[in-house]
Amino acid sequence: MTTTLPTPGHYDVLNAVVLKQMAVGAAVSEATGVGLDDVDAILAELAGAGLVFMAGDSALPTDGSAPALAEVAALRYAALRSDPAVLAEVDRFEDTNTQMLATMTRWQTVEVGGRQVPNDHTDPAYDEKVVARIDRLVQRLGPLLDALAAHDPRFALYRQRFDAALDAVDSGRREFVSSPTHDSVHTVWFEFHEDLLRALGRARTE
Amino acid sequence: MGDVLAEGYNVFNTNKSPEGVIKYLGAPQDVIGLIQSGKLGEHILLVRGGTTTFLAPALSMGAIGVITMSGAPESHLGILSREFQTPCVMTAHLTSSDSRYVVGETDDSHFEEIARELDGKRVRLDCTDHEVGRVVLAD
Repeated sequence: MTTTLPTPGHYDVLNAVVLKQMAVGAAVSEATGVGLDDVDAILAELAGAGLVFMAGDSALPTDGSAPALAEVAALRYAALRSDPAVLAEVDRFEDTNTQMLATMTRWQTVEVGGRQVPNDHTDPAYDEKVVARIDRLVQRLGPLLDALAAHDPRFALYRQRFDAALDAVDSGRREFVSSPTHDSVHTVWFEFHEDLLRALGRARTE
Repeated sequence: MGDVLAEGYNVFNTNKSPEGVIKYLGAPQDVIGLIQSGKLGEHILLVRGGTTTFLAPALSMGAIGVITMSGAPESHLGILSREFQTPCVMTAHLTSSDSRYVVGETDDSHFEEIARELDGKRVRLDCTDHEVGRVVLAD
């Protein structure tokens, strides 16, 4: 750890803020497993160091956030970055990610007469097919999450969040498929992808 | 329709036609500054890529329109813009230039040219076409 991020908890809290881009303490606590009181104390420290900006109760990343995380990740995940078990699963994830983005788009839009129009969710059979596809793609992450959790147990939290989102969808709350204001499948997927890239020291591609 | 300054992928078809002054956002601090200014609703936001993650707070707080210089409608930002119903033109290119974005083959000068030409101009977004989104100079 560094002087700006002296403990794993500091990394985890700042990482969650950068992943969420705008988050209250409770959401950071839920995503990291760090207690709320500790999250609030760490956010205050990070704000003092210029690594987060507090807008009311919400924390936002600053220009210094990502570089500080990258510096720590290079040390914290050095072994992970050279683990063949992880890297093999990461290669498979790239294809799965492409399929998930396309499937999310199919959830949001339907093709009518060769044109994409918004999905008004009046065709349960179509929606069920897309949700089943999303479920299968999430299940494909299992081996990667296991491989990552062997290096850092916090990656196991993603499985819990995916399960919670899919359970909510199954109970009829379709906002848990892709809404950015909920801990939806897409929200969790996006955060996992960002988290994975940071752990690996890789940049996103378009 | 007025002068079309730029065109790109239309992320979703909408009759919304937001008008505002283009503001280039290059870093998280730019988003914070814009939110603090209270003038988020006065600007069409220009960012470099569809993978620009720092735009999320601006979208959730009511951004009226977005232009990107790279990225696909299936990207994370495309998914977000549909969820927030924020008109979005992706991988926009200048109609006055031959320069086009190609994944992995485009250098900074392409993005700098677009930012230079569009930043500060009052425009409206035309997202009525099923495929092409247009950045139109406002009257």
